[in-house]
Amino acid sequence: MNAIILSAVLGVVMMFSSVLVSNQKAYKGIALVGLLIILIANINETYNGPIFEINTYNMLAFDGFSLFFNTIAIVCTGVYFILTSKQIEKVGGHTAEYFTLIFFVLCGATILSAYNNLLMLFIGIEILTIPLYILTGSKKKDLKSNEAALKYFLMGSFSTGLMLMGIALIYGGTGTFALEKIIPAAASAQGAPAVTAQTLSFLEVGGMLLVTFSLAFKVSAAPFHFWLPDVYYGAPSVFTSFMASVVKAAAFVAFLKLFIARAAGTSVDVSKIIGVDWKMIVAILIICTLLVGNISAVRQQNVKRMLAYSSIAQAGFMLFAIFSLNEMAKEGILLYAVAYSLATIGIFAILSRMKDYTFAGYNGLAKSNPALAFANTVFLLSLAGIPLTAGFFAKYYMLASVMQTGHYMWLVIVGVLFAAVSADYYFRVIQSMYFKNSESENEGQLEENPSNIFKITVVALAIVIILVGVFPNSVLYWLYN
Amino acid sequence: MYHLTNILDATPTVNTAGGYLPIIIQLVFAVGFVASTLLISNFLGPKRISKEKLEPFASGIPSHGEARQPLAIKYFLVAILFVLFDVEVIFFYPYAVNFKSLGWTGFGEVLLFVAFFLIGFFYIVKKKALIWED
Repeated sequence: MNAIILSAVLGVVMMFSSVLVSNQKAYKGIALVGLLIILIANINETYNGPIFEINTYNMLAFDGFSLFFNTIAIVCTGVYFILTSKQIEKVGGHTAEYFTLIFFVLCGATILSAYNNLLMLFIGIEILTIPLYILTGSKKKDLKSNEAALKYFLMGSFSTGLMLMGIALIYGGTGTFALEKIIPAAASAQGAPAVTAQTLSFLEVGGMLLVTFSLAFKVSAAPFHFWLPDVYYGAPSVFTSFMASVVKAAAFVAFLKLFIARAAGTSVDVSKIIGVDWKMIVAILIICTLLVGNISAVRQQNVKRMLAYSSIAQAGFMLFAIFSLNEMAKEGILLYAVAYSLATIGIFAILSRMKDYTFAGYNGLAKSNPALAFANTVFLLSLAGIPLTAGFFAKYYMLASVMQTGHYMWLVIVGVLFAAVSADYYFRVIQSMYFKNSESENEGQLEENPSNIFKITVVALAIVIILVGVFPNSVLYWLYN
Repeated sequence: MYHLTNILDATPTVNTAGGYLPIIIQLVFAVGFVASTLLISNFLGPKRISKEKLEPFASGIPSHGEARQPLAIKYFLVAILFVLFDVEVIFFYPYAVNFKSLGWTGFGEVLLFVAFFLIGFFYIVKKKALIWED
């Protein structure tokens, strides 16, 4: 609750600092202090309960999982602010407003981690995505940015419409918006007759399918991924970084919460009697996503576009959690959120400072900026899932959760194969940095020489990723304490 | 032919496909009426095509130029801000209906809602979005 209210309030504070504070440099400071307040308030809530006692009529439920995810999201946003606030200032003349919108996105993410009601799911998704439409189009003079914003807005609002339709159908089939009280399993526990093909509500199954498709769109699972490459490529790199990290993790947490709530003996399990096998539907989504993401990423010449496709491929891995729906999946999605968000933020922080976004633009970076090249290598290895980096244990938890469900060995093998494919395009960047020479020796690959503070923070982030990779329990420890 | 009383008898209280039969019949009639009137008037109506008849009708004023012209963004800005505050009113209707049962908590929440809108209004005034002259 603290995080939701404070991030909304801080959004308003940032909004007004744009008219009341004239110093452009001050916005970053205000945003960072605000984020620190939200972080402290959220951690305080984890141990001592909320400051604001508000009766949400059981529409929001704050358990350890959601509060811990909030902490992760807030910390990742903080890292993002520290690394890229300089680039945010360069996008256009509305620096404070960009921070405002990011705070609103954070508010949406915190709602999505705690929702207990389909209406709050809808509101959370809307609060999460509407600021993103604006951020995508924030480079007003850039045609690509405009195109991306329009495309994202049209397709995003269409998929939101699908979700609304699905929620309406679920309401028609069950008579409630609440996540856990949904019949029929709850009814059979109270002595009502078991569900059969005759009494199973088709509206509920249809609605659940629509909501699933809409959420698959939001997390860019194939075949609902078509918007993503253009949007990620067209949006200013700083905002792509945020969309690909915190926002995606939040959408996945929402997806997982919905499925875990519905899997406890309700629609996900019961649908099988009329031939809707949710395990199979999610398995098809996973394989499509891994296939499309990895194969398309191999063929890219532009690193930013490659990262867009690689983000589809990573979504395929996160979908394993929605497939297996057990405790390990919950732990895994949190670990994945940490590993993937931090690595993506780091890669984009370096990318947004590059002159040339193609693979050739990275040639010889190791010679001119060994520190940045080292950090970038760690981030890329983490995304590829190489041991000793955080990405390895993230992928490991995902695959292990599938193993726990039993009978699905083939899906694990498919996952491992595609993880091997993903090494190809991540290693190409490393190859250009270390083993190829820049054509123009003197000019350098970066737009301007990075400050020492930036170098130190990037390397520190890389070290954190290695530490999480060596001791993954250091992250999960906080989930249970 | 399905008799009407039978349909009503067959309508169960739960959501099954049978419960939607009246709606389907209603749909068939609605679509059929529109399609048939359009088709019949197309076949039976006289056709006198002249220049005046084919021109777009705009309240009797002769049209000139194209509709797709660049327009000053100010018009759009004012229009969209008006819509924002206009939509606010929609949220007052459900509140007005439940005014008594919501009591003072409801009143406080509506005040909060209005306060947020006023903050937004203050912001757009400060941002000089409503100043017409450059």
